[in-house]
Amino acid sequence: MPEDHSISRRQFLRNGALLSGAILAGGAAGAPWIRPPEVEAALMGIGQELREILNPETVNRILIEALLRGGDFADVFAEQRFRTNIVLDDGKIDSVTYGYPRGAGVRVYWRRQTGYAFSDEIQYESLLDAARVASAVVQNQGAVAPIDVSPRSIHPPFTISSPVPLMPETSKFDLLRRMDAAARAVDKRIASVRIEYADDVRDVLIGTSDGVYAIDRQYQVVAACTATAVDGTNRRTGFASLGGRVGTDYLARRDPETVAREAAQQAITLLTAVPAPAGPMPVVIAPGWGGVLIHESFGHALEGDGIRRGTSLLSGKLGQKIGAPGLRVVDDALWGYGRGSYAVDDEGVMGQRTVLVDGGVLQSYILDRQSAQYLNLKPTGNGRRMTYRNWPLPRMSNTYIDRGSDDPASLLSGITKGFYAADLGGGSVDTTSGNFNFAVRMGYLIENGKLTSPVRGAVLIGSSLQTMERIEGVGNDLAVEQARGTCGKDGQMVPVGVGQPTVRFSSITVGGTAI
Amino acid sequence: MPIQNPKETLERVRTLAERSGAAEVETYFEFITFAEARVREREVELVQQSAITGFGLRVLRDRKMGFLYTTDLRRKILDEMVVRTIALAAQASPRDENRLPDQTFIPAGNLEIEDASILRMRPEDLIPLARSIEDNALAHDKRVQTTRSTRAGYVVGEVHFSNTFIPYQMFRSTEAYYSCTAVAVDGDKKREGSYFDRKRIFQDLTTPERLGRKASERAVAKLGAKAVPSTKAPVIFEADAAGAFLGGLVGAFNALNVLEQRTFLANRKGQQIASPLVTIVDDGIMRRGLGTRPFDGEGSQTRKTVVVDRGVMTRFLHTAATARRSNVTPTGNATRGYDSLPVVGPTNFYIDRGSAKPDQMIQQVPKGLYVTGSAGFGFDLTAGEYSQQVEGFWIEGGKIVHPVEGVTVAGKLDEMLLGIDAVGRDLDFRSHIASPTIRFKELTIGGV
Repeated sequence: MPEDHSISRRQFLRNGALLSGAILAGGAAGAPWIRPPEVEAALMGIGQELREILNPETVNRILIEALLRGGDFADVFAEQRFRTNIVLDDGKIDSVTYGYPRGAGVRVYWRRQTGYAFSDEIQYESLLDAARVASAVVQNQGAVAPIDVSPRSIHPPFTISSPVPLMPETSKFDLLRRMDAAARAVDKRIASVRIEYADDVRDVLIGTSDGVYAIDRQYQVVAACTATAVDGTNRRTGFASLGGRVGTDYLARRDPETVAREAAQQAITLLTAVPAPAGPMPVVIAPGWGGVLIHESFGHALEGDGIRRGTSLLSGKLGQKIGAPGLRVVDDALWGYGRGSYAVDDEGVMGQRTVLVDGGVLQSYILDRQSAQYLNLKPTGNGRRMTYRNWPLPRMSNTYIDRGSDDPASLLSGITKGFYAADLGGGSVDTTSGNFNFAVRMGYLIENGKLTSPVRGAVLIGSSLQTMERIEGVGNDLAVEQARGTCGKDGQMVPVGVGQPTVRFSSITVGGTAI
Repeated sequence: MPIQNPKETLERVRTLAERSGAAEVETYFEFITFAEARVREREVELVQQSAITGFGLRVLRDRKMGFLYTTDLRRKILDEMVVRTIALAAQASPRDENRLPDQTFIPAGNLEIEDASILRMRPEDLIPLARSIEDNALAHDKRVQTTRSTRAGYVVGEVHFSNTFIPYQMFRSTEAYYSCTAVAVDGDKKREGSYFDRKRIFQDLTTPERLGRKASERAVAKLGAKAVPSTKAPVIFEADAAGAFLGGLVGAFNALNVLEQRTFLANRKGQQIASPLVTIVDDGIMRRGLGTRPFDGEGSQTRKTVVVDRGVMTRFLHTAATARRSNVTPTGNATRGYDSLPVVGPTNFYIDRGSAKPDQMIQQVPKGLYVTGSAGFGFDLTAGEYSQQVEGFWIEGGKIVHPVEGVTVAGKLDEMLLGIDAVGRDLDFRSHIASPTIRFKELTIGGV
């Protein structure tokens, strides 16, 4: 019984703590929002301080140091973020968090080898050290001279007039409370509501040995509602979220209370849902978040690291037919207000719109600099990293199946018995075999061309090439989900968008319990 | 070395926060060094050594809670952020359970989570180890001509902690690991097989020879895999797959989910929720355990907790706050990094060893599935439902007949747990969540 032997110090210390608090609280907590301007600048942006430490001249010197033993390429990446997280649970603001991570890394690559080192502080001397460590990967080939960096102008693909992360905190608390009340009001059976709000102001500075010096600010926000409905022993969860790289005008279009009600309504609908069927059958997948399918089935297999290693099932397939004729797939970093959007990637290449598949034929891979060099192709602006502690990997931005010409309602007709995936969970893929899966949060049975009973969760599985051959129809209702995608690879999580119109497949295996 | 004296920094920030109006303050400082070597096709792809430093501060005032994390430890910034966080906390809701632990813990002897030989390792020592793993993977079978990734690495972590009631504490821990994903090719079919090992003490780690061979065996075993017809049948989860299954289930034992009705096990305390063959344990003081630590993320004493005792739901996992809301003692399951608030999480979490021999568990099955791996999401813990993509082998007449893929298994979690009809004796810890081989009497298999 460890508790019996331990000493409670709480009661002993509380009085002392209260006393000192009482004396000093007024002054310190009374004026918390007045800050010296230099502190504000350091907290909220690539202020003068950071630009001064990492000016073009010091960045050049760091890059020279990084390439002293040789190498194909070197870059400096500095990042400073200001994040706010608020969790509302059980009707109360549970916790409020400020996150202020800051640091910089230096990378050198030479052929297939990568050297990377970072520092949790942004200082010229520590980055020179990092450059020396990173360069150790090269077998001393003799110094290579980097091109002097020069500032590049960043063209934002869209303007965010009044970013949500810069709203006053009180507005953020109010947003959560309104969502909570709206979700609870939907039905008496809503037993618990959790709202998680997270925003991020991410400032990056990138300097590269081919002369790029770029500075960008990226805003990001998400507010997610999880509602649980309980009826006897029957429990169901509904989920909905809002967000993206958006300003406060977005909140007028995507009403937070409506989002919360969607989550609650989903939980209530699922209370009466029937078990999912098992086995292969015709499947229709809803627009928007249904794009998890293309992200898992083709997206990852097109990433340049697996391609150059030859371990991806799509290695060497450029120009070949890999899907149905109606299939067109796009990766678009410039998509308006998307969660995966950016003007410049994390290794200084400008973001772009890339057609990956057109008419079922493979047009392009998803490339960072290193994989592009190895494959003798141009980078596609897809070098992304989770933080300054990570080196870039080829990653998707906003990836979607492009709009087709079918009327979405017509895609159900002719199916006597099938499955409609209305809302998905997450998915994963083995890019070597192409076997992928994704969870369905809520579905419907399709019977004689009509949606009938709501269906509880199941998993859909398939192999990429086979599944993409089985596309029978592509709707004209393209939607890109901008509020909920986070992609994990090699331990690095990055925000992404996924999308598609309504898509019909002749057959996908459904993993339910009803056979 | 960003902080010369962690203790001094913690004390200074704690005092500043207390003077600035916080009634209770918790400081948490993490310093982690890790190194990794990656080899591919006999070439060194990466040698990395990194050190991360981060600081987390929790403040409570009038039972309202605020939290700050940062890697920017410059005094001017840190002091400013402390004041700012206290002001932020004022806007949170008061909650009665918002109190920091105040029990000074009693160390549970030498937990053996620190290995001097790992402390002495240098990144370059990892290169021959990683090479040896890959060489053995490639030598084992002609059909394995490349690996996707072969890694050897180590981690050294330090946690420094203090709060208003508990004086400064620290501990250090080590880990060493190997992993390999081998790619087997047969005609135009490629299949991956992975194996890994992770241990606190370097001596406990398997050999590079065995690790490479296992990865290679797993890749080759998948060649020729096919789907099977949809059916209901007995399903065996081999130990690694059973450990992954238990990992998916662990949130069901989280006391916060119980309080908020988000687990199918809410209101089931004291009831038979699994077969009498099943005992589930969370043990934060297991010697050499990968989840072992002397105190949890908020300074509560870690301990051994029987979660399910011969099928009976006995105890959920708690932080100090969930324990207070549930009126029980904490279980030492506050999990966190410097950049996150403490949440309920497992320490060393496992299904206890049973008595069945794994090969006999297969021999007793006339027709069924032997699962060696699963992928993706598939747990709905609130509803208590499970459906997941799996791979493994088909069993016919008590014998393994061919590899399978393109199949799913699904069931209701309460029926699945009650229907476990054999638990193997092969419990082995290569992760902090582990299980021996288990057999479910009947699951739905979705195939062609």
